[in-house]
Amino acid sequence: MFDAALIPTRLNPTPVRTIAAKDIRDALRDRFILIVTAFLAVAALVALVTGAIALRGDVATYEAAKASLLALGKSADAIKAPEFYPLRLLRGAIEQIEIIGAAIAILIGYRSAASERGRQTLALMLTRPMRRWQFVAGKALAGIGLLAGGLALVLGGLTLVLHFLSGIGLGADDLLRIVVVWGVAVAYTACFFLVSFILSLHMKQPSHALLVAFAVWLTLVLIAPQIGDTLDPDNQVAGGVFKQLNIAKPDQVEIMKSFATFETVRDGIEQASVTKHFERFTFAVLGIKATYAGMPLGPILIEMLGNLVWIFLTALGLGALALALPLNPDRLAKA
Amino acid sequence: MQGAPSPGWLIVRQSASFVLRERTVALLSLMFVVLVLISAWLGWSATSTVNRIYLDAAAFLKSAGQPVPTNPVLDISPLSLMRNMSVYVALIGALSAIVIGNRLVGLDRKAGVLPLIGIRPLGRDAYAAGKIAALIGLILALGAVAGVVAVATFLVLPAITLTGLQWAQLAGFMAVTTLYMGIFGLIGLAAGAAARSETVGLLVPVTLWLTLTFILPQLTANLNPTAAINPISALAIPPDTSFFHWAAIVLGPVSLADAYKFASAGLLDYLPQGIASPSFIPPVITLVLATGVAAAFAWRALTRLSMTEGEYNV
Repeated sequence: MFDAALIPTRLNPTPVRTIAAKDIRDALRDRFILIVTAFLAVAALVALVTGAIALRGDVATYEAAKASLLALGKSADAIKAPEFYPLRLLRGAIEQIEIIGAAIAILIGYRSAASERGRQTLALMLTRPMRRWQFVAGKALAGIGLLAGGLALVLGGLTLVLHFLSGIGLGADDLLRIVVVWGVAVAYTACFFLVSFILSLHMKQPSHALLVAFAVWLTLVLIAPQIGDTLDPDNQVAGGVFKQLNIAKPDQVEIMKSFATFETVRDGIEQASVTKHFERFTFAVLGIKATYAGMPLGPILIEMLGNLVWIFLTALGLGALALALPLNPDRLAKA
Repeated sequence: MQGAPSPGWLIVRQSASFVLRERTVALLSLMFVVLVLISAWLGWSATSTVNRIYLDAAAFLKSAGQPVPTNPVLDISPLSLMRNMSVYVALIGALSAIVIGNRLVGLDRKAGVLPLIGIRPLGRDAYAAGKIAALIGLILALGAVAGVVAVATFLVLPAITLTGLQWAQLAGFMAVTTLYMGIFGLIGLAAGAAARSETVGLLVPVTLWLTLTFILPQLTANLNPTAAINPISALAIPPDTSFFHWAAIVLGPVSLADAYKFASAGLLDYLPQGIASPSFIPPVITLVLATGVAAAFAWRALTRLSMTEGEYNV
């Protein structure tokens, strides 16, 4: 078979761009990308709206309780007012990106690789004057570009809804935080795109590759965080074990010292999942985790640098693997 | 002399053996079994850690001259040790069932053997019944493995003894678990038979599963998606607003993931007091009705499958 890699003089300087543009055109022509993006948008919007409705219910309950106390001539200080940080309402939407966004990335990765195999056009494309890595890079760029576009639409739409729904509007700092979250969400979903893309390009049967990619998704997105979450002693007793035992925070730390190994193992299981890093980073940036609410973005980014590096290194590592793996001629056609 | 096996039985045997040969089915089933084992270990590990924390805390409180509260572990039913299994069934058990259902019919379509089966003396009803029977057999096998692990866990752990009623509750949980996986298996079978392409046949039930597991609980009880991975967090009182009241009435009966987790929590004794399913239909009844609907869809799709076309019609 013709090996383009052996004749560099005929290399076209823009095959990566050509392949990427062709893939994006193909993807936009069929309705698949539109449908999956709409599905993610609906899931995220449902999360945002239900969160807002629940918060409105909390505010109404608080106002009613406050009015009752005031009517009785008592102070309203006895009841705690619900806290309102608009970006916190994005919690459910971020979790949907974490779960469904990653699943969609797997589907896009599968389609990107399987489409050429299904149409028996992979071998044909590789007869063109380009290096094989350029073909892979073009496809990967297109897939990640589609993910970036889809996530921009979803987060942009959510920002608009949030701006009007919150009643107080969003400021420049809020918008910057959402842009940062978008960038990290692209890198996070790119990890799953690349896993699926690599498997679908190299496994004998693309449909098997899709299922294996879903098994990876289950492990990283749901199972590893589940194990870490379950092993957290505070999650085993309603309200938390220390709260039930009436033990103050400094004493909790003292008691937990003898469980250091257990905690290291538990944290290690969570840390092994790129999903947990994405969750920790986004929850901090958006102030969803209470300790970061109202904190400036700079110090949060410095504190969360480890999570950020983990996400980007995973994406870059998988990208390098996709480029480095030689395309097997036996995998060029539909299985 | 032994008579020839009936055509329906041949379909059951051939389908089940072909699906079991599939590496992806084996991978997902293996994952499910491993996770069921992990869930048993997690339940034991988490409970014993809380117990050790209590002992340390009790010693600390005693030395500080403070009153020592009762051990929270004593308030937990031993059955709740298995609560993590409900999470794994809702996640990987359902997904494995979808894949099994899809492959049961997808393999015939992909291999292009439908026209060959169509010329045999075999009615479409027998073909459909054979496929559904094969699915039931495979799902029962998955359920049985989970059941054996659960029973073995309770027999092996020395400090735990179950009463007769608790053994019956465990049996009920395993039945509900098998029913839940069966619903998704039937949906996978129906989509695999009705879809025009192999990918769509897999994606439609997976999308439905994502919707039932991560989107509907938000509408019925404002539960964030990651609550699905924690058996305790997944049980919450819906906010007291008219939206959630109406959402529970309209969507409650179709929110199968909600029904499964409430049925499991009730049977395994970890349902907190004062919390009930958002639906007006009892969870187990919801699951039985859903099984009937999914079986009807699967039957309709299988009996309408064109036996003249070879591979997927794309």
